[in-house]
Amino acid sequence: MNQDATRYFYQPVLIFLGAVSLVLTAYVTWLTLNDLSLMKPQAQKFVGLDNYWRLLTDARGLGALWRTALFTIAVTTIEILLGLAIVLYLDREFKGRRLVRALLLVPIIMTPVVVGLTWRFMFDPSTGMVNYVLSLLGQDRPMDWLGNPAIALFAVMIADIWQWTPFVALLTLAALEALPTDPLDAARVDGAKEWQVTFYVLLPMLKRALLIVALIRAIDSVKAFDLFYIMTRGGPALSTETLNLYGYIAAFTNFDVSYAMTIALVLTVVTNIALLAVYGVMFPARNEARA
Amino acid sequence: MKRALFWIGLLALLVLVLFPIYWVVATSLKTVKDAFAQPPVFLFEPTFANYAKVLQNSVFLRGFFNSLLVSITASVIAVAVGALAAYGLVQQNAGKRRAHEKFILGLRIAPALIFVVPTYYLAVRVGMLNSHALLIAVYAFVNIPFAISMMITFFEDIPHELRDAARVDGAKEFRIFWSVILPLARGGLVATLILCVLFTWNEFFIALVLSGRDTQTLPVTITSFLTFQGIEWGPLTAAATLIMLPMVVLGLLVQGNVVRGMTLGSVKG
Repeated sequence: MNQDATRYFYQPVLIFLGAVSLVLTAYVTWLTLNDLSLMKPQAQKFVGLDNYWRLLTDARGLGALWRTALFTIAVTTIEILLGLAIVLYLDREFKGRRLVRALLLVPIIMTPVVVGLTWRFMFDPSTGMVNYVLSLLGQDRPMDWLGNPAIALFAVMIADIWQWTPFVALLTLAALEALPTDPLDAARVDGAKEWQVTFYVLLPMLKRALLIVALIRAIDSVKAFDLFYIMTRGGPALSTETLNLYGYIAAFTNFDVSYAMTIALVLTVVTNIALLAVYGVMFPARNEARA
Repeated sequence: MKRALFWIGLLALLVLVLFPIYWVVATSLKTVKDAFAQPPVFLFEPTFANYAKVLQNSVFLRGFFNSLLVSITASVIAVAVGALAAYGLVQQNAGKRRAHEKFILGLRIAPALIFVVPTYYLAVRVGMLNSHALLIAVYAFVNIPFAISMMITFFEDIPHELRDAARVDGAKEFRIFWSVILPLARGGLVATLILCVLFTWNEFFIALVLSGRDTQTLPVTITSFLTFQGIEWGPLTAAATLIMLPMVVLGLLVQGNVVRGMTLGSVKG
């Protein structure tokens, strides 16, 4: 009987969260089926699936979707590979290990807007350090990193990779330390070489942790906004406009509310499907292993 | 030899990670002449002129005050509610709990855009766009799921026997929570609170949309200094340093919990 009292600790909160999400989802879905734009004089009117059809044939929207996918896949892959490399490199006893960990934490807790500013500063075509270092290496023509449509997206990727690779490394390192060492020792006793131990014993054991980090990074990169807003605002020539940014512009520059919500909803649904698919492929039929 | 190579590699890694930050901080301490010298100068006489300029800027000070007020208030609310809910959830049987926890984690997948836009129009209609209460409410709301997930991990570590013993003594559930469990989870409460403050302070997207002229938080304030015609990098880097420094200190205080916290879900747009 008393056991039930603990229900009242969480039920109101969860019911509230659930109700808000439900109402929001319903309202947003309703908006996407209407045409509500604050720039048009006529009142809201029901248009069915027109907004979805519009997105499907909107070159700008499709371009943004493509860039979002490219950005997400590229940064997630690179961050996982680099992070893993760092972990394997740091996985030994050395003086100052704790200090190195603390230092790796700094980019993660830095304000993302400040990260954007930092890299905008680094990439400055005339006074930036990136071009200076390249000039030392013999690259004489200064690159306009954020002003050249061909490379601006990669410049933003570099900033994202700089900020989040340490996160991948630290999380993987924590997972590594929680692993039992017996299988590694057993493999060594059996005469396996060190690289074989790493590839055939250690990496399979880390697979689950790596997948979780990859999922987290993928979700966050799909929604990436701060770096793009600060470094390029989608420019030059829309070359760095992601779906999230396009949705923001639709809502707050064009005041095209219904269309913005369509973009946001499609983004959410596509992300969910993609993540479920990835999850299903990586963990076939193993139901609900514990995190 | 191998040892030396290891240290060289480690040094290269740390330079890659830390140099951009160092360069921003160094620039904030330079005169205009030093800041744009080519080739760049590494040894220079530090000046605090840029900081003096930023600290005399009323817009920046206002932003600092707003950030402080909004992030602390919203975090306290989120942690209070989150701790209660987490305590309740930890007492449930495994199946029920998992379903609830999954729901809580699922809340983080939707982009902020999807709830920020309806909130924006609602706020415009009731005329709340320029009020701290709106920002505090929204941030508390987005922090609650995180606070629940985080507090669950701390409450789980507290042995069940304590609660059972207290119940045998006839204590009411809320009293057990308040006087037995909560004091034991004090460290977790502080860590969760600090992380909530950190996320809220750093958050940009929600603040960009939902803050008005008088409620701008720092990340929004600093972008208003950013114009496409020529940027004053000196004061800007000083402002950037002042924004990130408190968070770096807080983050290092709860070092072990940051990565765990971020896996449980942050407020990031």
